[in-house]
Formats: sequence, structure tokens, C-alpha cells
Amino acid sequence: MNDQQWNTLVSVVRGETLRPLPTAFIIDSPWLPNWAGHTILDYFTDERVFLDDNLKAIRTFPETIFLPGFWSEYGMCTEPSAFGSVSMWGEDEFPFAKKVLRSPAEVEHLEKPNPRKHGLLPFVIKRLQHLQPEIEKAGHKIRFAVARGPLNIASFLMGTPEFLEAIKTDPELMHRLLTIVTDFLVDWIAVQREAFPSIDGIFLLDDIVGFVSRRDCEKFAVPYLQRAFAADVSVKFFHNDAPCKASAPLLEAAGINLLNFGVQHTLSEMKSWTNNRIALMGNIPPRDVLAEGTPEDVKRSTTEILNALDDRSRLIVSCGGGMPPHAPTENIKALISTVEEVTR
Amino acid sequence: MHDLSNLRTAVIEGDVAAAVSAARDALDDGVQPLDLISQGVGPAMAEVGKLFEEGECFVPELLMAARATKGIFQILRPLLAQTGAKPMAHVVLGTVQGDLHDIGKNLVAAMLEGGGFEVTDLGVDVPPEEFIAAVKKRPVQIVGLSALLTTTMPAMKTTIEAFRAAGIREQFKIMVGGAPVTKTYAESIGADGYGETAAASVDLARRLTGT
Repeated sequence: MNDQQWNTLVSVVRGETLRPLPTAFIIDSPWLPNWAGHTILDYFTDERVFLDDNLKAIRTFPETIFLPGFWSEYGMCTEPSAFGSVSMWGEDEFPFAKKVLRSPAEVEHLEKPNPRKHGLLPFVIKRLQHLQPEIEKAGHKIRFAVARGPLNIASFLMGTPEFLEAIKTDPELMHRLLTIVTDFLVDWIAVQREAFPSIDGIFLLDDIVGFVSRRDCEKFAVPYLQRAFAADVSVKFFHNDAPCKASAPLLEAAGINLLNFGVQHTLSEMKSWTNNRIALMGNIPPRDVLAEGTPEDVKRSTTEILNALDDRSRLIVSCGGGMPPHAPTENIKALISTVEEVTR
Repeated sequence: MHDLSNLRTAVIEGDVAAAVSAARDALDDGVQPLDLISQGVGPAMAEVGKLFEEGECFVPELLMAARATKGIFQILRPLLAQTGAKPMAHVVLGTVQGDLHDIGKNLVAAMLEGGGFEVTDLGVDVPPEEFIAAVKKRPVQIVGLSALLTTTMPAMKTTIEAFRAAGIREQFKIMVGGAPVTKTYAESIGADGYGETAAASVDLARRLTGT
């Protein structure tokens, strides 16, 4: 992300209404390597492919912002690998993290990993450090510390249904699990900030927050998100494309100031539920419109969504969730150009 | 007639011990197992599903309600067998070949078990031949196929085609689900039903089996 794009992002988060509205997309392994003509495994294992694919996206769509920008990760395996989770790889499949806790009681034996040494985390840092000169030569900087959120990591360690059931059957043990995970997350974010002083944002992804009630969100999500987002940075970006109605009113208290959410809710609903205190990033349907529609469908949907909004402050136009697999170039360009036309 | 409201409340609140206790009380009081299902467990799970669809109940509550119902069925199954009642419909579930995700499938399994179905869970990354072996092993009323990825979704079609090639496609109904799956896609590959949510899968399974 270049300086101008970063300043745009910070302006929106601070409440400015920009004309035209900015567009931005979360891009990572599901979409990027396949769009660029590579397999997912090549993207993860070849630094050159990783760099070239990211630069290709940036140069193909110079008018938009890609978040978090040069996202060094290994899919869902990144943080679980530090806890000893087995990472499973396919040539062109998402990596998969096997769970490590077979029962809530096993939390008693879980140790907090060292993000400098454990799992794939040193690889995440080293890849970016190796590429940093070329990233900066292209006019970009590493802006975000990135991690899966506490509930998301806990669910990978236990299995999602098992974790969600255990917050009812074994709440104390689940608090202990979330405490260990969050202690680790705080360390992991600090390690990233130390490695890249240009970082001025934290980006956490946690869909599991969307699966629980408001009461459980208050107990099991907010306190841990508050700690994970506690560092003094300008942008505190959260992704949850599961349902958000219950959690939305609590996100500001969790420290979040930018939210990417799913297609279940409209931008107006989210503005209301967050009291327009959080910048929103959405909300074009990712699968049915951006990936599977025509450019005309994208234009129609984007126009309808923007025209339905009375208040365009704190808004970045994107799809609801990350860039969907197989979203074609012409549809992305249609979205960007429509936003420029409609909000100029 | 014994009042089953305690049982329904216990299921809706996901209180396993209270639900099992209420079921035992009802049976001791002479309530027939089939009546306990039709007037107690069934309406309670329907209410849980409705609350889930309305955003008033969430995944943990759904799982706990399914767990409570499963506890009740552990008591009821032997009693139903003694009475000669028609056995519960048998569902074989699995995430299709190439896909390692189990969240949706596990939720559906929990809901179906809570809804009184007998579930054989084949796990993840299940090749067509494993589905075929499972349905040949013992009678199956429904096969459920799950996929999370657009890249693995075509394996649903491959599996259904394998059932056809084996000459067993018409022996059971097929329902499909998963984040990238749509009703249109389900119809295009020859599935009998599409479950948009785990809660909806119970109603769908009931419709497909006429129970």
C-alpha cells in the first residue's frame, strides 16, 4: 500500500467523506494466485510468485486499495501451526490446520507459543523481510500486522462446533484457552510491528465472532479483541463475514475502527448498528455478483447499493468479505469504475 | 395427558440433564415414545430452528439443543425398537473428496441427530467409492454431501454420477449444502434438496423422507 492509499484509509477511518468514495479489497490466497495464473501452493512456497502476483494485482487495478497489502500468510495454518497443529497442503487447495485439542480438558496442557520461533510464523516474517526492498522500491510499505482473531484460532485448535459447544459446557476452560491465544496474539502482533516499523494498523480476521449471541460476544469475544487491538495504531481493521447483528454494536468497544462484513446485512443496517462510529468496507455480494455476475450485474448492484445510502461517510466500497475465488478482472474494474461514476 | 412443556423448554434452552430427566418423567407417566417425539422433541427443535433463522438463537445454543435432543433419543431408541415402530431415517453424511472442511457438516450432523435421524458421518475428503460402500453396507434414506470450496464443489456432481454409475442413485435422496452451494447448483447436479443452513437441513431431511 502506497502513502496516498494509506492516507485515504486513515481519512475514512477518521470520518471523512471522500469523493469519489475509495474502493478496497481484501486479497489473499483463495483469489490472488489463481487470478494471476499460479497454484495456491506455488504462491505460498515461492517468494517470487508471491511478490509478482501481488504487484500484478496492484498494477492491474491501480485505482483501488488492496488490504492488508502483501499479506504474508499461510492461510488458516499460520497461527495454529505455532500451537503444533499439523498443516495439510494440496497443490491448489486451501491449506488446512488439523485440530490439536481433543477435549476442553486438554486446554490445561496448552502452552503459549513463541511467535519468534514456532510454527510458520518466522517464515511469515522472513518472507516479507526478503521482499521488503522490492516492495518499497515499488512504492509500497508494510502497513498492517495481521492475524486470525482469538475465537478463530481457538476454533482451529479445538474444532469449531466443539469450541462453540464448550463455551456453554466448559466456559472457564474456554476463557483459559482464549487467554492463552490472546496472550500469544499480543506477542505475535508485537513481533510484526518490531520487524516492520512502517506498520500502523492491525488486521484481525474472526468469523467465529458472528456465530455467538450478544451475551456470549460480550463475554467471550470483546475482552479478548480489546487486548488484541490494544496497540497504539491508526487503523484497527476487523473482518467477519458471518452474521454481525449481535456483535456490531460491541465492536467499537473492542477497539475496532474499520469493519469488513458479509452480505447478510446492508450498509445502512451496519451503520445503524455501529452508530456510524466504525468505518465500513462493503458490501457488494462477492459470489453471486462479483464472481459470477457480468460487468453489467456488478454495475447495477453497485449503483443500487450506493444509491440506497443516505450517508456515505466512513465508507469504503468493497465486496462483503474477501475477494471471492474466480472474480474476473472485468468485474472488479466494473465495480471500481461504477463507484467513481456514482460518487464523484 | 402429561405436560411436555418442561421437556420442550429444556431442549430449547439446551439443558441436557433437564431434557433427559423430563423425558424419563414423561415415559414413567405413560407417554408413548412416538408421542414424546411428535409433541415434545419435534416442536422444540422446530422452535430452535425458527429462532436460529430469525437470529434470536446462535450456533452454540443450536448445538446444545441438538445435544439435549440426542440425549433424549438415546433413551427413546431402544423403546421404539421394542414397540416395532418404524426405525429412524438413516443419513450418511460427508464432506466431498478434496475438501477438508467439517464445520458445516458437523453442524448438520448435530442438528439431524437432534432431530431424531440416525447419522453415519464419513468425515472429510470422502471419495465417491467410500460413499457407495457406506450406502451398500446398510439401508440409507438420505446421503448428505458438503463442500466449502468452489474448487471442491464439482466433487458433489462426481459423487452423484458415481451413484448413478453404480446403479444405486434411486435408492435414496441426496441433499447438498455448503457456503458456495446454491439451490440452482444443487438442481443442476441432480441433488434432491439444498440446505441453506444447518437448521434448515432438518426440515429438508424430513421433507425428503416424508417423516
